[in-house]
Amino acid sequence: MTSDSQDIESATTAMSPVITDAPDSKTRRYDRQLRLWAASGQSALESSRILVLSGTATSTSILKNLVLPGIGHFTILDDAKVSNEDAGNNFFLEGPESIGKPRASEAVRLLRELNESVDGAAELSDISSAIAKGASYFADYSLVIAHNIPYSQLNQLSEILWSDVTLPHLIIVRSAGFLAEFSIQFHEHTIIESHPEMPPSLRLDKPFPALLEHARSLDFENMDVTDHGHIPYAVILVRAMDDWKAKNGGKAPTTTAERDAFKKSIYAMKKKSDEENFDEAVTQFRRAFVETKVPMDVADLFQDQGLTSLTPQSSPFFHLLAALREFCSRPPHTLPLSAALPDMKADTKNYVHLQKLYKTQSEKEKDEFKEILAQSGIGVAGVEMGMVDDFVKNCHGLRILRGKRWGALDANPTALASALLSSPREAATHLALSSVSVLLEQTPQKAITTEAVTAHVLNLLPKGTELPSEVEEALGEVHVPSHSHLDESADLTVSVRSPTADLPNTAAFLGGIVAQEAIKMITKQYVPVNGICAIDLIGCTTGIVRV
Amino acid sequence: MDANGVSASNDWQGRYNHIDQILEQPGPRTDESFGAGDTVKDFLRNQCKVLVIGAGGLGCEILANLALTGFKEIHVIDMDTIDISNLNRQFLFRQKDVGKPKATVAAEFIMKRVPGVTVTPYFGKIQDKDEDYYMQFHLVICGLDSVEARRWINATLINMVDSDSPESLKPLIDGGTEGFRGQARVILPTVTACIECTLNMHTKPTAFPICTIANTPRLPEHCIEWASVLEWPRVHGDKKMDNDDPEHIGWLYSTALKRAKEFNIDGVTWSLTQGVVKNIIPAIASTNAVIAAACCNEAFKIATSSAAYLDNYFMYMGNDSIYTLTFQPERREDCPVCGNNSLPIEISKDMTVEQLIETLGERPDVQAKKPSLATATSSIYLQSPKQLEEATRPNLEKKVSDFVEESGQIIVTSVSLPFSLQLIVHFV
Ligand SMILES: [Zn+2]
Repeated sequence: MTSDSQDIESATTAMSPVITDAPDSKTRRYDRQLRLWAASGQSALESSRILVLSGTATSTSILKNLVLPGIGHFTILDDAKVSNEDAGNNFFLEGPESIGKPRASEAVRLLRELNESVDGAAELSDISSAIAKGASYFADYSLVIAHNIPYSQLNQLSEILWSDVTLPHLIIVRSAGFLAEFSIQFHEHTIIESHPEMPPSLRLDKPFPALLEHARSLDFENMDVTDHGHIPYAVILVRAMDDWKAKNGGKAPTTTAERDAFKKSIYAMKKKSDEENFDEAVTQFRRAFVETKVPMDVADLFQDQGLTSLTPQSSPFFHLLAALREFCSRPPHTLPLSAALPDMKADTKNYVHLQKLYKTQSEKEKDEFKEILAQSGIGVAGVEMGMVDDFVKNCHGLRILRGKRWGALDANPTALASALLSSPREAATHLALSSVSVLLEQTPQKAITTEAVTAHVLNLLPKGTELPSEVEEALGEVHVPSHSHLDESADLTVSVRSPTADLPNTAAFLGGIVAQEAIKMITKQYVPVNGICAIDLIGCTTGIVRV
Repeated sequence: MDANGVSASNDWQGRYNHIDQILEQPGPRTDESFGAGDTVKDFLRNQCKVLVIGAGGLGCEILANLALTGFKEIHVIDMDTIDISNLNRQFLFRQKDVGKPKATVAAEFIMKRVPGVTVTPYFGKIQDKDEDYYMQFHLVICGLDSVEARRWINATLINMVDSDSPESLKPLIDGGTEGFRGQARVILPTVTACIECTLNMHTKPTAFPICTIANTPRLPEHCIEWASVLEWPRVHGDKKMDNDDPEHIGWLYSTALKRAKEFNIDGVTWSLTQGVVKNIIPAIASTNAVIAAACCNEAFKIATSSAAYLDNYFMYMGNDSIYTLTFQPERREDCPVCGNNSLPIEISKDMTVEQLIETLGERPDVQAKKPSLATATSSIYLQSPKQLEEATRPNLEKKVSDFVEESGQIIVTSVSLPFSLQLIVHFV
């Protein structure tokens, strides 16, 4: 190539990508979130349809954080008219101007202003009529969220949505004053892109042939000093280990003394004291001998019931997982190699070369994986190639969550008692909210005494369980209005409809945390809560009660 | 009150029924000083004055929560204008507001949506205001993305504490988020750990060594840094680069892409270019909502004593399930702001002034950008004005031990330090 032609090329590339690659206005709007869940997560969000039961301050707070990032559609199902106190604690009502109007319509109108591309609808009927329509009513949605709905309705709703795995997941949210909890009802949730903190293994203890060959081909001794200071630590470690094995009957160092000696041998390879690449190799020296295995979390998945009962109808995830299990059963008994190479002290030439070696090997192993998948002969047609790439790329972070039906914990006195022992604060919060919600329905017109709630809590637990002080503290915080408060109230019906405090800050906190979990469920990225997340905004603590 | 129950302060009957459930009776963990009923309601709704610093991702949420909670007198400071990339979370702003000052638009929105609340905006820097201004507030809540601004308000509020006047102690509630993570904390100046005490908990943006950028690029980021740090000034001279100008970003992108091609490096994209150049931190509505709610909940509890408040640091991680930790970082005795005002530093006898300057920039508990150094009697190295910089430049290569003896003092000043830091030098 002449210098002229290069100039022409650079002259044209200087401007053209600027025009074609500049982001459109949608990408600019969503830039800060696309950096977390990318276009794939965004498109999942945009095709989601969410049903929210009740138009409380908490419900609209949750929706706000789903409308902003751009879900496809939401419906608020609520037959209430805006009360004086609704107008005081809900940001998506217009104060006194909204009083008396349908709460769902007002909220939908104001929520839609947040994002023009989101569709919203108000359904002004009560929850029991929706429940009466049965499963088909809910089948249209990808997720249902219910805040502070009556206990018996929640029971019916969760039963309907549990009846078929294809029905939407349900997020149950409860709050009273400074206390709150939520849980997600799902049968199974599989995650490919969990975004784990731990990077995939470089497999330096089991170098692939091309890497070993490359490490052996370098003449460390007679190399130019500058080049010597630019060999990536991965190559140094592979070479150092190869040399060590040659001198030690093919064995890697095992005892502490041997490992120290190995570390010293890396130091000894230095030509100058300030070679940072060798310093890195010394820091990372364990990678040369710590055995790369299939990570425990992934190995556990190979025992999952989804594999033992694999059929052509199983979801693509399990066919891919079966192929992965087969891949890992073959030498070198590791996950397919990742092409992602972390930065290392090196010059461009050495680093890019190493990157190429990893990329080539990674492609080769992915082809092997695809071959296994093809040979398995089941359900491959249903697996898109893009999904295979994502699966292999993220296989070190695969997750399967298996859930229980809502209410499973309350039906299990032993589990409740052990939760009270292991996480008293969280279990107490759950017991308080759960009992108050049961009692509120049983005695809607009356104030509920602490004695009555305590008796209900004790009823859920094995006989003779001693209540820790956290339970008393939680019960005292749910702030069920006292009888005198109701008497003083000029508008009795208002107090009865919302007999627990939906505080703006608690609502906002739940609004964030529940929307976040909804986003994880919809995008199938990151790892959602499995269990009951209990929140105490007095001490400002949260915790998960395992179900 | 008139016949419809609407009082002059716009409080319609039942407006605060939810909150009043909390304010009318103590809970098991409520302090004895709690003045249940009218006393506490009057303070919250008619007397308490709150300052919100930042009207961005956290600030919008904070303003809405405070207004609904019943705070009626709110001030907000922000120096930024609205950008399209704010709209995925800063929910008081609309497309039509792009380009307008955040503080003003946010204040107008809150006052329209929540009747009876006064929000006074200031479109400018926190440093424009003096101690008299800050003294008028009962509480300060920060929702900032800049460590520098946090350090400044922290030092200012701590300086204001006068032990003879309890009013001078202004609780500082600070929130911060990054992707699915965040933190909220309560700082009682001179009582609990301050921003400076825990500075090493703030992550510093990744810096790439200049020699890597210039000579041995390996990552796409290295090519982008090359374009912005080295090529831009070489090609454009004194013309300042504007991060928000798409033409400038476009130039950096194509320049970085060309270099990446030359070195066989993959991965330079427009989005990455923008991310590196602007040091973009991912931000979503949900995390901001959680942290802002935690901050405002603390403001409410402190203003009303209706429940114990956070002691004193709440850490939130939402990427893998939900993990939070509430803990008590301790005050640092040698905290340069709330402690005894001097920092012992151990250095080699051979360390040069230039190396010390580099160390001060890198140390997570100091983070001094371009610091100037002096002893009590003479200058060691001054960054400005130009003449003094030139005059002291030869000192950069000299040893620190040429200027101070063992246990001697060096005074460090820097634009990123809201105070002058005294180093006590120990040679090892
Ligand atoms: Zn301090």
